Amino acid sequence: MSGAAPPSAPEPVDWAAKNYLVIDDFVGVRQLLRESLRSLGARNIDQASSGGEAMGLLARIRYDVVLCDYNLGEGKNGQQVLEEARVRNLVNPSTVWLMVSAEKSVESVMGAAEHQPDAYLIKPITEGVLLTRLNRVWHRKQVFRSIDQACAEKDYLRAARLCDERIETSRVHELDLLRMKARLMEQSGQPARAREVYERVLEQREYQWARAGLAKIRLANGEFEQARQALQGVIAENRYYIDAYDQLAVAYQNLGKLEEACAVLERAARLSPNSVPRQRNLGNIALRVGKLALAEKAFRKCLAIGEYSVNRTPDAYLGLARVCGRKNDPKEALQLLALAQREFGQDHPGIGLRARITEGLVWHESGDYRRARKTGDDLEAMLNASPERPDVPTCLELATLLFSVGVKEAPVALLCYVIRNNHDNPLLLEEVQKIFDKARMQEEGSALIRASRKEAADLMNQGVLLWKTGKLGDAVAWMRNARKAVPDNQRILFNAAQIMVSHLQQHGYDAALSLEAYEILHHVDGLLPGQQRFAQLMEQLAQLNANMPQTVTAQSAA
Amino acid sequence: MDDTPNAQALFLFLASTAHDMKNSISVLSGTLEHLLAEASPPAAAAGPQRAQMTQMAHMLYQTRRLNDNLMQLLALYKQVGKPEYPFDIQPLDMGQLVEQVAALARVLLASRGIRLELDYDPQLIWHLDEDLVVGVLSHAINNAIHYTCDTVRLAIRETDGWLELRVEDNGPGYPPALLKAGEIATRGTVGGVNFLTNSTGLGLYFSSEVAKMHRHRGRHGSLRLENGGFQGGGCFVLRLP
Repeated sequence: MSGAAPPSAPEPVDWAAKNYLVIDDFVGVRQLLRESLRSLGARNIDQASSGGEAMGLLARIRYDVVLCDYNLGEGKNGQQVLEEARVRNLVNPSTVWLMVSAEKSVESVMGAAEHQPDAYLIKPITEGVLLTRLNRVWHRKQVFRSIDQACAEKDYLRAARLCDERIETSRVHELDLLRMKARLMEQSGQPARAREVYERVLEQREYQWARAGLAKIRLANGEFEQARQALQGVIAENRYYIDAYDQLAVAYQNLGKLEEACAVLERAARLSPNSVPRQRNLGNIALRVGKLALAEKAFRKCLAIGEYSVNRTPDAYLGLARVCGRKNDPKEALQLLALAQREFGQDHPGIGLRARITEGLVWHESGDYRRARKTGDDLEAMLNASPERPDVPTCLELATLLFSVGVKEAPVALLCYVIRNNHDNPLLLEEVQKIFDKARMQEEGSALIRASRKEAADLMNQGVLLWKTGKLGDAVAWMRNARKAVPDNQRILFNAAQIMVSHLQQHGYDAALSLEAYEILHHVDGLLPGQQRFAQLMEQLAQLNANMPQTVTAQSAA
Repeated sequence: MDDTPNAQALFLFLASTAHDMKNSISVLSGTLEHLLAEASPPAAAAGPQRAQMTQMAHMLYQTRRLNDNLMQLLALYKQVGKPEYPFDIQPLDMGQLVEQVAALARVLLASRGIRLELDYDPQLIWHLDEDLVVGVLSHAINNAIHYTCDTVRLAIRETDGWLELRVEDNGPGYPPALLKAGEIATRGTVGGVNFLTNSTGLGLYFSSEVAKMHRHRGRHGSLRLENGGFQGGGCFVLRLP
């Protein structure tokens, strides 16, 4: 062999001193990997033969490197082990996670999945390849460390600036950094700047993730037909770019073409069946277009995957119950609803209400109007008993059901609540008007919508007026009350945070007020992620905090 | 496209069997590599031990072939001409590409006393499917090791917007029949049963498909076999846009 120096190794990494975990259900492969690691000098190597065993070890020991096979036989698969380890914070951000599979997986191509391993390796794994990939991931992590930190703090604008800085110094990661930056621009509500980044990438090479990124921006912009064409182009170029299918389904849905959306998701689910959200979307759309067999299959698959997943949700149970109702089998539907409440009661406080709504729909759709009415009355009582309201889709579903079983006051109050909390969302106003129309309350409904909008607008304007006239203390107090009246109104929440930031800037730093502003912003981000005002206000707050080192220390010590 | 439930079930069955076989092959080739690496270099070894090592090296070579064939079959099974493979290009510096290819060939080279000559710029970045290109190059090097006299040369350079990757040896060169098979494989038309019954043909066909999958601005990659080159033997030339 030629005497060329080991190429592209900035600083050698000491792989001997690290802690390793090898997860594979085949003992021969585990031994082989252990031998390979030993020849890198590794001494501390643990092994697990199943996902369950791996979780036990991960819960006790912090590993620097995890080599995990994707197919682990019965129980959790490799991806589910990774997700659970990340969600339960059992691995450090610096932990290198390598996913191993017998052949190149479809999942390794799609870029948008939330929990990606640091690299995918294909069997057979040899020492040379292993070492090269380990070193690469390690150096990549060094380049991304401060960016990931800023992301974790949701300071997306700082993270984007760090991407620009890194591009100058590490050319081999340029595309990775550009991709990250584009995503950050999307997350901070600046699609135009994200578009610039994608176009810069496409000048170099035809990368399908950049094409899909452009299509996603069009989608967000309401240009559904152009988005559809672009996404179909991506799929024609690489039929394994699964993310494009999910986006294409959204485009079709917005174009009102549910059948097509359903067909696209069905294809995607065939290529990559182990995604809970995809199977759930497929189930819901299939239910809407009346393909009961397909919906049932998707929901059942959802339950099967979810069994071992840390991210399981009750949605598939509720969906499957609807399928049973439509198939005139209310008995199984009720069993599923009881099961959903038993399994998810603890982690999903709203599940009782959602299960009851589904029950009402099941009775209504299977023609048992007496029981449907009874459920409606119970739901009305539940609403009266608590001031808390579920998310918007659940509210709309509930109002529709209550109207259809003959309850009137409760759904009217519920819809007015929805309007007060979303007074500047024209699409939603339309949707609510339609529900009133269907309940034969056209005129009355539109008067109620107007009144509710005015109520919210007055609340906001009064606060802004106090702020503009320099009464910052009063403005903060006013917005605090407004927030109690309309807890999910994004305009009001943003203005509340904005006024608090002004207060901090003009009247000096106050840890409690800063914390309150953060709390408000995180709540808005939960309602609708990716808004520009969120990113801007988060950046301003972070800068205020950075200028107050002594307060930050006090805060982190608390 | 044949999407009948039977065809799907059959494919799933074949795939899972192939995966199982891959585990066994991994262990086989890994164990052989360790045994060979632990044994003393062939020059220093005595007669019978040396003969054993040569046999082991041959076992490793055959195991590698088994793995490559299995991988290629799996990728080509569904529809010949349109490999069912999640193609994925990424930027990669040639230093890391060569590092992996050289490491894969190291034990086999050492056990046969063959020299690997490298000629490349480690800083050069190209956009390619790493797993596929590493696979194709190490397949080509395995072949070259089998036919060369004492040297294999891997040379990578950029010419006129193309990346040219050459695997050359100083053996007797490709026989005319193989040069022809290479031409057929490269032309893209499957040369009938004749060609597919020959596993060298399968390897060439696969490599040429890999080349073609790499596309950029209306151009696509290609594969060429020739005799001569820097070492005067066979040359395996992969060009990527």
